[in-house]
Amino acid sequence: MLFENSKKQIQSINIEYLHSFNYLSMTEKTANKKGWVKKALIALLSIFLLGVVSFWYILNENFKDTALTESTFTVNAQELINAFQTNDSLANATYQEQLITVHGRITETEAADTTVNIKFVDPITDSYLIFAFQAQHISDAKILEAGDSVAIKGSCSGNIYSQLRKANMISFKRAVLVEKFRNFKQ
Amino acid sequence: MKKTVLVLSLIVFTNVLFAQTKKTTSATVAFDATTALDALPKAENKTVIAEIDTQTGQIGFEAAVKNFTFPKPTIQEHFNEERWLNSNKYPAFTFMGKISEVTKYNFSNNGIYNVTVTGQLTIKDKTNNITTSATIEVKNGTLVAAATFTIVLADYGVQVGNSGKIAGEPKITVSAELK
Repeated sequence: MLFENSKKQIQSINIEYLHSFNYLSMTEKTANKKGWVKKALIALLSIFLLGVVSFWYILNENFKDTALTESTFTVNAQELINAFQTNDSLANATYQEQLITVHGRITETEAADTTVNIKFVDPITDSYLIFAFQAQHISDAKILEAGDSVAIKGSCSGNIYSQLRKANMISFKRAVLVEKFRNFKQ
Repeated sequence: MKKTVLVLSLIVFTNVLFAQTKKTTSATVAFDATTALDALPKAENKTVIAEIDTQTGQIGFEAAVKNFTFPKPTIQEHFNEERWLNSNKYPAFTFMGKISEVTKYNFSNNGIYNVTVTGQLTIKDKTNNITTSATIEVKNGTLVAAATFTIVLADYGVQVGNSGKIAGEPKITVSAELK
């Protein structure tokens, strides 16, 4: 009888133990699951915030006003044309995507949509530098004429050889007029 | 002597005014790949070389890829990257074409001419045929040409992905004043 009672007690303890083990295991699993969900939510939120910050940054970034930015090089127009004609790879490596101030006498002004481009042309090879002005400085380009001695600053886009013109085109974007030397005009 | 100078001047003037090949180095090409999700991927290049031979109808355009100006620096940087236009390796876009049935038009006379242009556009060393309508306005020897068409970027090896932020078929607008 005593033995029977002890056996039942042991069984009852075992069941309770098993139940408690299952309960613990379940609690652990739930806790683990909750932790994983939390981590995933944090990761998603971080990605979302990063996206918002990147989008906001791109939306609000603008090119600096070229007039307020220092140029990396200051060169003479003909010397710059020569540099590209002599060693195109070296000149591209040196000047491409750099802000350059170019001194020279304007050869030609040319209508470009609602604005005007400024050109310095090599009279022997017909290779040329061409400057497209930054939006807020377009009015400066419109007052310039062929023959004006000027200093113009712009971002150099490098050189392409034109099959149509059989000459090098060295183009500039976001250009501004630095100075117009009236006294040197011919 | 005066007569000779006058005749020579007249010849030079006439040749300049009615030269067969009209040219500019300041044509404008605008690129618009905006979508409802993103209004940023658009750019323009105002230093495009353009030529039209009014007799043969031959047309040519050449643009420096790096001289396309975007409103936002990051977008411009992406445009020139290796996986997009790879402008370091392929620095120019070219279009070589012809005005269809050019003999139908007399570009010596002032007026507006609606023409069809067919040709080959080369981007990233990949060439595809393009046919587009265009208008050419002749005003005292100057030609003002304009055209709008779309291109399929995938045809030129440019994959835009599925984000919906960049149009796979951007609109290209060309305008040029040729003298």
